[in-house]
Amino acid sequence: MGARPTAAEWTALAALAVLLVLPLWLGPYPIRLATVIFMWAALAGAWNLLAGYAGSVDLGPVVHYGVGGFATAALMLKAGLPFVLSAVLAGVVAMAIAFALGTPTLRLRGAYFAIGTLALAESAKQLALAWDRLIPFPLTGGSAGVSLPLTAGYDVIYYVMLALMAGVTGAALWLQRSKFGYGLRAVGENDRLAEASGVNIHRLRRRLYVGSAFVIAVTGGAAGYWLSYINAMESFSAAITFQMVVMTLLGGLGTPFGPALGAAFLTLVSEFLGTRLVYYYLIVIGAIIVAISLFAPGGLAGVIALARGRRAEGVA
Amino acid sequence: MSLLEVRRVSKRFGSLVALNQVQFSLDEHEILGIIGPNGAGKSTLFNVIAGLEAPSVGDVVYRGRSIAGLRPDAVCRLGIAKTFQIPQLFPSMSVADNVLVAALYGHGATLPDARRQAQDWLAFVGLADKARVSAETLSVGERRRADLARVLATGAPLILLDENMAGLNRTEVEAAVTLLRQVRERGRTLVVTEHIMRAILGLADRVVVLNHGEKIAEGRPDDVMRDATVVKAYLGHAHG
Repeated sequence: MGARPTAAEWTALAALAVLLVLPLWLGPYPIRLATVIFMWAALAGAWNLLAGYAGSVDLGPVVHYGVGGFATAALMLKAGLPFVLSAVLAGVVAMAIAFALGTPTLRLRGAYFAIGTLALAESAKQLALAWDRLIPFPLTGGSAGVSLPLTAGYDVIYYVMLALMAGVTGAALWLQRSKFGYGLRAVGENDRLAEASGVNIHRLRRRLYVGSAFVIAVTGGAAGYWLSYINAMESFSAAITFQMVVMTLLGGLGTPFGPALGAAFLTLVSEFLGTRLVYYYLIVIGAIIVAISLFAPGGLAGVIALARGRRAEGVA
Repeated sequence: MSLLEVRRVSKRFGSLVALNQVQFSLDEHEILGIIGPNGAGKSTLFNVIAGLEAPSVGDVVYRGRSIAGLRPDAVCRLGIAKTFQIPQLFPSMSVADNVLVAALYGHGATLPDARRQAQDWLAFVGLADKARVSAETLSVGERRRADLARVLATGAPLILLDENMAGLNRTEVEAAVTLLRQVRERGRTLVVTEHIMRAILGLADRVVVLNHGEKIAEGRPDDVMRDATVVKAYLGHAHG
């Protein structure tokens, strides 16, 4: 793979350019919908970095999302900092926590890592719920939650989420052609062989885990500010984790554009079906997810690659 | 100073003594054979040297530095790389990328340098035409050569080959022996375990014989093969 951008990358760059100027023309509803897609693309993309490129299935990424939300809230409410700065600092806080959590958990292998991180996320939720009763420095508001300052406008959130999606997609593209990326893929495919070839597998995995925690936390902070209200039950909910997993698998695990495709597809289908089949749309979405897993295990990115391959063959 | 010293190394797994006070040293550019019947402790010895197992007692000293208990990646970067008895691969990566990873992380090559080195080592082991195919499509013999290219690409001066010729036919064994001689000519030191006596006797400068985790003989290959204890260990009392 050379340094020259591929056709898919040119398309993505063009799409990014369009998305940058889109708010000039669009009304509030499409902007809101696009922001939801960017948000999930950033979250799923961050999960994809670890699962798709390093083979570590993390079932507790929502920890970083929750930490990001509450840290952003605290920095805005208690320190009076502006939103963007608060969200970035919350990302740094999440990185420090991820470093501490990742050092022991990333040594677990396969299913043990998945179960360990799932348990960790549930513990984090309980800790967040009990925080204000246990610690003399209130942060989470217990089960009542915390209200954030009202959002100045949707455009800020739109651009923050767009930047997060673009950043995480760019990181995935960089991994495909960098030394770090080769090391990670080696770890994902055969960690013992990677280790025997000189790769410090724990340090590589942890670096990626800490990096993806930053993206997830900033997204969590932006989502909290957007809704102006967060509570521990929802901010640490396993449903957020599973949506990240499902969108990545739908779009294509271990592909740079898969998570964004999966996020767009699932968000748009839910929106479309939700208005038409108010009571049954979740059943239909379930059937679509099962169908894609059965007939296109490579996800939507795999389907697109296949279609392009067929077309190329036809031309030749 | 010798390149590697194994100092009274013992390894116990519960009540099983896999290695008992094993001691030998190795000079630069030497080819040392480690022979012994199944279960003699050859692979355990390799695992202890390469950092896959820590010795229960004793020390492993490489270029004057104790490496016992270091992690495998640290041992590799210091200069000792090992092939696997069952050759290991990064299955869905190309053969060239398998070797590339070792060049990148074994001695910190940059990406363009590592790509060149991977091509060179694949050509050296005779797999240049397989560079672009996915590693899982290789045959057993090709996997062993790819594994050899990988350890060479780490740049490690000391190479441990764990039964790298197992499962090869007579012609392939001869080709492998020639290849390993060329590896030595390129300045590497080799420690080789093997079941195929013919291969080891023609290749090694010196052999160490293990039996039940203990060193029972050491010396030039033909001398060792005439040693009564060695013959007994291999063939049993009836033939002794």
